[in-house]
Amino acid sequence: MKIPTVLLSVVISGFLISPAVADCGKVTIADMNWNSASLIANVDRFILQHGYGCDAELVPGDTMPTGTSMVEKGEPDIAPELWSNSLKAAIDKGVAEKRLRVAGKSLTDGGEEGFWVPQYMVDKDPSLATIAGIKAKAKLFKHPEDDNKSGFYTCPAGWNCQISAGNLFKALKLKDDGFELVDPGSGAGLAGAIAKAFTREEAWFGYYWAPTAVLGKHKMVKVDFGSGADREEYMTCTTSAECENPKVTMYPPSLVETVTTESFARRATEAFGYLQKRGFKNAQMNELLAWVEENQADGNIAMEYFLKNHEATWQPWVSTEVAARVKKALAGL
Amino acid sequence: MAAARPDTPYEMEMVMAVENWLTTFPEMERADLIAIRKALDAGYRAFSRSYGDLIESLFDPLLYFLVWFEKLLLSTPWWLVILIVVGLVYGASRSPKLLVGVAVSLLLIGYFGMWENTMRTLSIITVCTILSITLGIPIGIMMARSDRTQAVVTPVLDIMQTMPAFVYLIPVVMLLGIGKVPGVIAVVIYAIPPVIRLTNLGIRLVDKEVLEASMAFGATRRQRLWGVQMPLAMPTIMAGINQTIMMALAMVVIASMIGVKGLGQPVLKSITNQYFTMGLFNGLAIVTLAIIFDRVSQAYARRTQRHLQGNAHG
Amino acid sequence: MAEPAIRPLVQVRGLSKVFGDNPLVAMERIGQGHSKDQILEQTGQTVGLNTIDLDIQAGEIFVIMGLSGSGKSTLIRHFNRLIEPTQGQITVDGTDVMTLSEKQLEQFRRHKMSMVFQHFGLLPHRTVIENVGYGLMVQGIEKSERRKKAGAWLDAVGLDGYEERYPAQLSGGQQQRVGLARALCTDADILLMDEAFSALDPLIRSEMQDQLIALQDRLHKTIIFITHDLDEALRLGDHIAILKDGLISQVGRPVDILLRPADAYVEAFVRDVNRARVLTADVVMQPPSCRLTNENLEEALRQMRGEEKDYGYLFKEDNFRGIVSRRAIEAEISKSGLKVDLIQLLEKPMSVHPGASLEKILPTTLGHPYPIPVVTDDGDFQGVVSQKDVISALTETRG
Ligand SMILES: Nc1ncnc2c1ncn2[C@@H]1O[C@H](COP(=O)(O)OP(=O)(O)OP(=O)(O)O)[C@@H](O)[C@H]1O
Ligand SMILES: [Mg+2]
Repeated sequence: MKIPTVLLSVVISGFLISPAVADCGKVTIADMNWNSASLIANVDRFILQHGYGCDAELVPGDTMPTGTSMVEKGEPDIAPELWSNSLKAAIDKGVAEKRLRVAGKSLTDGGEEGFWVPQYMVDKDPSLATIAGIKAKAKLFKHPEDDNKSGFYTCPAGWNCQISAGNLFKALKLKDDGFELVDPGSGAGLAGAIAKAFTREEAWFGYYWAPTAVLGKHKMVKVDFGSGADREEYMTCTTSAECENPKVTMYPPSLVETVTTESFARRATEAFGYLQKRGFKNAQMNELLAWVEENQADGNIAMEYFLKNHEATWQPWVSTEVAARVKKALAGL
Repeated sequence: MAAARPDTPYEMEMVMAVENWLTTFPEMERADLIAIRKALDAGYRAFSRSYGDLIESLFDPLLYFLVWFEKLLLSTPWWLVILIVVGLVYGASRSPKLLVGVAVSLLLIGYFGMWENTMRTLSIITVCTILSITLGIPIGIMMARSDRTQAVVTPVLDIMQTMPAFVYLIPVVMLLGIGKVPGVIAVVIYAIPPVIRLTNLGIRLVDKEVLEASMAFGATRRQRLWGVQMPLAMPTIMAGINQTIMMALAMVVIASMIGVKGLGQPVLKSITNQYFTMGLFNGLAIVTLAIIFDRVSQAYARRTQRHLQGNAHG
Repeated sequence: MAEPAIRPLVQVRGLSKVFGDNPLVAMERIGQGHSKDQILEQTGQTVGLNTIDLDIQAGEIFVIMGLSGSGKSTLIRHFNRLIEPTQGQITVDGTDVMTLSEKQLEQFRRHKMSMVFQHFGLLPHRTVIENVGYGLMVQGIEKSERRKKAGAWLDAVGLDGYEERYPAQLSGGQQQRVGLARALCTDADILLMDEAFSALDPLIRSEMQDQLIALQDRLHKTIIFITHDLDEALRLGDHIAILKDGLISQVGRPVDILLRPADAYVEAFVRDVNRARVLTADVVMQPPSCRLTNENLEEALRQMRGEEKDYGYLFKEDNFRGIVSRRAIEAEISKSGLKVDLIQLLEKPMSVHPGASLEKILPTTLGHPYPIPVVTDDGDFQGVVSQKDVISALTETRG
């Protein structure tokens, strides 16, 4: 009585899974080295593996190398959280040449970028929430290597945001107030500089983006340029290295997308369907990042936490059968 | 005793527990691990909060010197810098061939637009080297004098050399912020072990009879150190210094990750962006600096140590 | 043997040295009379020296000899405390070396003793002249004076013209001359030489020995000389101490060692020595057996018959005059009675020098039927060597 049931279920599940396996096969997912992207990558891996029978594997990635590699070499298959503003031209070209497919927004609200100051400074002096206030109090923000100058921590060299931050620095004429660009060298350097300022409640002014663990942990205020966001100006000039005469604009919310290679989208249509639906709200992601931060969790643990505790969020992304399989696999963790 | 097969659920559980324990490593509870990590992090943060300013101010003179020296190199006209470098090269090596090679390399570096970054790197490497030597040689001497010190210092050096730089980069940034000083500290941590090790080794390898001779003539500890041990250990120490410079140059890219300007930055940039040529050019400029430092220090060592080989008749 | 009664310059009493981490255990066993090998096996400690007693007189060359590992270097390094003893006492010119503080020890090494090393121990980064003046430099003597003195000593060892060379540019023999000059340059009374000539080839070595002997004739230093070469020891030593496994086997004059070895170890040492070359006439000579003082023929004949000797040695007022044979006297008496004076029957005396080696005098003793007189350059009669004395000295093992 028992044996046939087991056999049957094996047959059935085999039947159900095998087409997906055949479709999907080996899938590489870029695991970017920041927490939100790593969380999403891990969620994708788990769901693709257990829900869609893909042979999913995480590979280390970063915005530029991953984007370029996907266009040029068709690898990895999925970039689950690509800040595509910075790669706009390359992605457009990839899509046009039928090498890439944009599945949807991974952060539905888009990512935030901007110039930030610590909350504790604004609490003391609300004027610092505006660029006029910052320029007026430039002396507060000491340059790390020269006491007579003020420092603006820009985006690390080689990152795309370096161009936009540089152009805005120019547009805001921060130099006239004694500011100099401070290149933190790397993401770690930038985060370290913020962490150092916060442990000692020192002044800090610089570029950062959200949602991030850093902004989840260190409460910062986005400085208002008083200009509103001019997407046109931003696209044509602010993000361009050749921009001669940059104008002041707030960062428009960045498009944060799930991008796949065309070959993946074609061979694994069901899985691609999941990626089209999968997206986080910023509020949600902030909450998750806060948890990650609190528990010093890696992407894998964060994924487990998310899938186990936020069923309502992810269930709508998949069919009931897939959800069942994922839940079964979750129970086995 | 015959119960090889588990009969009760309890026994079954036991067997499974044992099997689990045998097949998977008995790990610490994740919560405990997190608690430990949190506690250590909080401890470090508290330390940095209470002593950070003090420690930072201790490094202020170094910072001023670094800024001053970089400005000096950057504001000196390029031809004057080349002249001075070439003069130093010739003074150290007395080799016209080396002189021409160095001059041409520097001209090429400038021609390819890497002059400023090269000067920045030159400045920081020079400071790191001076610092490594002034700290490393006394430590090496102390190590050579006492087996106990050697037993303590050696594992520390091992850690310094093998610990990935990123691990101590972030704590240093938390303490001192980004920029030159933490960069120099990171570079010195990584680059100082060879000069310490080889100073120690060089002194310990000094011919026992020569040392005995100096003792037998009533030389004091100091006379022995400076009159016998150091001069005889010099070739080994020079090899250590050479190694230290090479390792410092190798750290340039890593140091640029915490905001040290110089040739490392464009290399880092080209890593993030796959700017192949840019990476190659700047990498080659680092190599050129390395070769200049290497050849000059080697030639200097050879020239001053010539009498130690028997064939040079003077 | 009645040695001089004056206090020895260097006195070693109960000196022991144990290498290892637990010397006290080894010292205990030394007290119980265990051997070096036993102690090493039982405790893992190496006995370098085992209760050494030595007296070294001012102005002599004292040789310490022994096989490799017997503790020679360990012993000589105790004199200037390059090695600290485990137990025992060393007195140099009335100073207990063990009680010296670091500063006092430096002064002691600067002025009392200097040392020559087996592998020269020259400073390779200093020129020859700087090496020779090193001891003075350590003392803080100014450069011009240093150079003057060092130059003079360099001359004395025959190396003038080499001042500005580096040690690596010299041959082994030249380097050791520099080492010797360096040791002499500080004017210390005591010279320690640890196998100073062992690294040199035999010709250079014997040249260096000659040079050392010549210098010593002039300088009258107290030299403590280490060697593992018995010929060298016999040639240089006024006294020789033989070390075995850290113990003194025998101390004595070269001839005592050679002719009266104290034990099998010394005997084995001595066995291979070319005695004919090492032993000298004064060592084997005897008082003349038949000493004639009366010129009366009959008197002489009676004395010779009484002592059953074929030859007589005639002395006049303690001066040796010559040899006369019994046969000649008897022939003369039967031919011409007692008319002739004994002087007229004297044969032209064949004589040898007291320092002449047996090798050299052997043909002479073999070529003459009578024991050959041993006479100094000044004509002082010392004794006689007979063929039998020479042969027995060359073949006998124990005296
Ligand atoms: N520093 C040391 N540590 C341990 N053992 C030592 C040390 N120095 C000497 N010895 C031991 O002491 C003994 C005597 O050594 P020493 O060097 O005095 O011999 P030596 O008679 O000078 O021999 P050689 O003719 O080979 O120079 C040897 O057994 C040696 O192994
Ligand atoms: Mg020896």
